[in-house]
Amino acid sequence: MARLHADLIPALLDFIASPHADEAAFNALALRLFAHQSQHNTAYARFCRARGRTPATVRHWHEIPAVPVNAFKELTLSCVPVAQCARVFTTSGTTREVKGQHFHPDLDVWNASMRRHFADCVGPLPMRMGILFPDETEMPHSSLAHYLQLALQEHGLSGSRHAWNAEGVDSLAVLALVREAQATGEPLALLGATYSFVHLMDTLAPNPLDLRLPPGSWLLDTGGFKGRSREVPIDAFYDQLSATFGVSRAHCLNMYGMTELSTQCYDAGNASVPSFKRTPHWMRTRAVDPLTGLPVPAGQPGILVHTDLANFNSVTTLLTEDVGLVSEGGFQLLGRAEGAQAKGCSLAVEDFVQAARA
Amino acid sequence: MNTLRIGHLPGLNEADLCWQDLPGLQLPSGHCLQVPTLSPAQLQALCAQLRGPGRAALRALPVREIVQAIDASVQQLLDVRSEEHQCLLHWLPLVTGFSAEMVRINLNATLRTYRAPQLQRFIAEDFGSADMLDAFVPRPTGGLTHAEGAALITHVWAGNVPGLALWSLVSGLLVKAGNLGKVSQGEPVLASVFARTLARIAPVLGSAMAVLWWERQEQALAQSAWAASDVVLAFGGDAALADLQRQMPAGVRFLPHGHKISFGAVGREALSASRAPRSARLAAEDLLRHEQQGCYSPQCFYVERGGQVSPQEFAERLAAELQQLATRFPRPQPGLAEATQIAQWRSRFEWDAQVTLIGQPEDGWCVASHAEPVALAPGPLHRCVQVVAIDALDALAPWLQERQPQLQTVGLAVAPERLQPLALRLAACGVTRICALGQMPLPAPGWHNDGRPSLLDLVNLVDLEASAETLAEGLAGYEI
Repeated sequence: MARLHADLIPALLDFIASPHADEAAFNALALRLFAHQSQHNTAYARFCRARGRTPATVRHWHEIPAVPVNAFKELTLSCVPVAQCARVFTTSGTTREVKGQHFHPDLDVWNASMRRHFADCVGPLPMRMGILFPDETEMPHSSLAHYLQLALQEHGLSGSRHAWNAEGVDSLAVLALVREAQATGEPLALLGATYSFVHLMDTLAPNPLDLRLPPGSWLLDTGGFKGRSREVPIDAFYDQLSATFGVSRAHCLNMYGMTELSTQCYDAGNASVPSFKRTPHWMRTRAVDPLTGLPVPAGQPGILVHTDLANFNSVTTLLTEDVGLVSEGGFQLLGRAEGAQAKGCSLAVEDFVQAARA
Repeated sequence: MNTLRIGHLPGLNEADLCWQDLPGLQLPSGHCLQVPTLSPAQLQALCAQLRGPGRAALRALPVREIVQAIDASVQQLLDVRSEEHQCLLHWLPLVTGFSAEMVRINLNATLRTYRAPQLQRFIAEDFGSADMLDAFVPRPTGGLTHAEGAALITHVWAGNVPGLALWSLVSGLLVKAGNLGKVSQGEPVLASVFARTLARIAPVLGSAMAVLWWERQEQALAQSAWAASDVVLAFGGDAALADLQRQMPAGVRFLPHGHKISFGAVGREALSASRAPRSARLAAEDLLRHEQQGCYSPQCFYVERGGQVSPQEFAERLAAELQQLATRFPRPQPGLAEATQIAQWRSRFEWDAQVTLIGQPEDGWCVASHAEPVALAPGPLHRCVQVVAIDALDALAPWLQERQPQLQTVGLAVAPERLQPLALRLAACGVTRICALGQMPLPAPGWHNDGRPSLLDLVNLVDLEASAETLAEGLAGYEI
């Protein structure tokens, strides 16, 4: 395992730092990580054997067995013993639900991945920031809390801060940030969970105030509503966001991320939806038939499978429950694979859908 | 354009109706299902018709004639040469996703349970004889009793299993109630075709029932339906039923039928070398019929150890049967969401050393064979089933405990001396129907769906006590 840090980690950091990567370089590193994970990640090794996929038989990164995201709830997917992992991120969910766990020996690669793609896709930077989410000390196991804190540390101008209190989004703190921006004319960025923005707008709605931000401001939401706020059709959400803060929809960014990944994807605004999410050169996304794992014909929706090379300690390749359209350099997210109308009067359908959603 | 209009609305002027496409269906291009959009005033007028003149005319008919009318309509639907039969064969596969072959087989089996002899048994089951619905009948303990049907029953149907709607609609007609049926988006066709056929053959019955659809969000329509009803009989998931329950005005009798889970139990007697193949065949047939989507369809088979054929071998035989049946009845292509669920379900077992997964992802079926007992749990359907080895079927109780409120059918294959003791144990666990393996999706006519009487819940039992008779005797004109 010591070889890991001597060898694989620097290679990975170099890869992320390089300007781009071609198919051959991506494939080589993906296969190297597969060899590593199918040797040291015990649960994954069993899974790969059952599928008849081993480093001896896998020649292309497409052939790396994709792990369904739910497996993170039931299994320990880590090459390094979890006791030696500095950080564990857990999926959100109520206390009653089983949470998925993603173990990280350290966060060097995770942070490098975040920094690089954030800087490439989000901006302008640096910027005064308001974070509509708890900070890292309050939610040490939230990858989103860590992500937002990192954004603030790396790119936040003085005066950037969290606007959150025990009740949730601190609307007075947001108001203060907005008033400062309006007074100075300096742009402001607000970043947070999608549902935080909905809560904020709902709180402010009864007393309409002028919250329009100076030119150059942008907004970044992520994660969807997750049943924590009312569900808003996505077009209406960006209309309202744009109207409330006076930021054009082209500057309302959305980040696609998952606890089970170590890399995020970004669109270039949401002037029209669904937006196109860009993957960085160390992550590739395919659309597959979930049963066979085979790619769907070009231009057809399929279930998204991500191969994220920054996921060096767990598994690189994940079968999500997201339906999407894939094209060069990224994908369009069409929704969750849960829209199926419950059929029949058998318990299974509804119950199973709920379990899978948890 | 191949368009079918859903609905039957006695008393409403055809010219006043607006039609919309039924949302949520994925039909082949060129096909379209339309439903009427009613205003609250139209729905109120419809309810008044059903409760009032419609029901009054139905109430004047003896049950015998109602039975004959239903029988004649069912014969019409069963007749392969009839337009109605062809209409069902054309539309049901399109809306339900079942294969045409599966629809054909199930439709006949379902419709056959609504012919006159079966309907008579249906009534005998709850009332002894039909007389109680027509008049007052003497009680052994003195006095008389009459079963008076609700003035208006609203039926809220769910799911895509054809025939579910028929069961409750026919029950409502047999008790001479007015009936307002809200079809499900998953299978709106059969109830509508049946209602129109019945109305043509027996206009009196047609005037006492309506079939329609409204958006769940249409609170005004829903509220006027509930307000006009004495009984609301609803099918659906727990969340939908809880939501309906909250909407019920005080005094409305609410009869919820939630989603259920069913399983098979195979005793070691059914696992001899000569009997095991048949047992596996019956299990496979139970699984296939209605594509596992019925409340009575098995999601799991508990298989007893100690037979000549081990549970693991039974699982393999079941897999072979499924493979064979798949050639005649190919599995309908699951959608992306369903396929994702199947993939998640399969992969969970791939990680588990106690489970042998039989069948490849592309096979169109999958058997997960468990070496150790596990709790009954729902799966993703689509011919995905668990076979669970257990030392003795007598020891099933702890594995069913968690699902107690949701249990429904058990398909049993055991020796006669074990039948009743085992059935009693299962009853204590919450099971409400026990039948032969191979008969799970074919409940007997007059069965107590979810353990409830079919007809008794839809009536008031009206007592005419002996004292009234005695007093009346003294008031006769011929009394001196």
